[in-house]
Amino acid sequence: MAPQQFTTQDITKLIARVSLKDRAAFDLLYRATSAKLFGVCLRVLSDRAEAEEALQEVFVKIWTKADRFVVSELSPISWLVAIARNHAIDRIRARGQRTAAIDEASELADERPGPEAQVVAEGERDRLGACLGELEADRAAAVRGAYLNGDSYAELAERFSVPVNTMRTWLRRSLMKLKECLER
Amino acid sequence: MTPGEDRTPDAGGDDQFAAEYVLGVLPANEREVLARRIATDADFARLVESWEARLSPLNSGYDEIEVPASVKQALEARLFGRGTPATPKSGLLQSLAFWRGLAVASLAAFFLAIAIPLFLPAATTPDTRLIASLAGDKTDVRYLAAYDARSSEIGLSHLAGDRTAGHDFELWVIKGKEPPVSLGVIPAGSHVHVVVAAGHRALIGSGVLFAISLEPRGGSPTGKPTGPVVASGDLQAM
Repeated sequence: MAPQQFTTQDITKLIARVSLKDRAAFDLLYRATSAKLFGVCLRVLSDRAEAEEALQEVFVKIWTKADRFVVSELSPISWLVAIARNHAIDRIRARGQRTAAIDEASELADERPGPEAQVVAEGERDRLGACLGELEADRAAAVRGAYLNGDSYAELAERFSVPVNTMRTWLRRSLMKLKECLER
Repeated sequence: MTPGEDRTPDAGGDDQFAAEYVLGVLPANEREVLARRIATDADFARLVESWEARLSPLNSGYDEIEVPASVKQALEARLFGRGTPATPKSGLLQSLAFWRGLAVASLAAFFLAIAIPLFLPAATTPDTRLIASLAGDKTDVRYLAAYDARSSEIGLSHLAGDRTAGHDFELWVIKGKEPPVSLGVIPAGSHVHVVVAAGHRALIGSGVLFAISLEPRGGSPTGKPTGPVVASGDLQAM
């Protein structure tokens, strides 16, 4: 049992201590963040066993790369989520040519607006949410879906019934519009 | 989208690659190339980090999902080469931690029966006494704490585990989801008392958590725990 409430500052210190190979700090960091990072792995990988494996690999990376956080300007939890997301996404991409199966599953993916709709609601409170709101609805949905589910260009193109290159152009332009909006 | 828009050149260049990398949409081979650039090209790495920061509010869309305990065990075995060596499914009765816990529990029961009257005023009524057995998974630090609402004192019995040189143990109370509140540095000694400040008495009640962290000598300089939590436990009515 550890304190349930860790502040951003607490997590920052824990990561700093983990970079010094402090195992007690590593345990606390695991307690404080593993549920969130497992949520990331499970959402992207949609498979419990694989997500459990991925989560272990994520924490191995955290243990070995914690010193890099010191030079990062990200908030500690954003830094940790980025490690988990990148790892989980690399893993699904490495599953290889599952595209045929994904084609069949694309309707299933379409049935997942629940959490995304929730993010829209939560997101409206922040600037990113407001800027996503300035995009056309389907493009904002594609950005969110890509980010949260780790969808590939190929999967998104399939889902929105457009060629892959069109999807790539959509998303590139959407991302640049987002950046411009956030910098206003 | 108009056809004209489609032909817009990649004005962003690297910034677009960084954005796509963070969004995660690229195929494996392109992600590999960009991951190598992140490792070797500080300017590109900075672009990636800026995108991670920009899109990070979306992280609130990830639920927290409880992780099975077996994952942590496997992780420790992988990192530190220990955990579950010969007996893969170590049952409760084979668990050293269980037997250690039992030993502590017996000691605690003994303490309750014999020792508590020694440092709690005999006149206290049962509902003004709360106790907590404080222990940690990863340390051998064990305390038994007894709170007497009438004297506003916490009696602490140090059962096992020493503070590291140059450090103090600090006692915290955590009520629900509220941040930890310091109750002060625990004096060295096997039976010691901490007087609870008037402003903190309302925090203490059945079900709140007591936790002990390792802090620089004299206690946390920030007012929040800065060191590892070495032991914790719930307060329960006697």
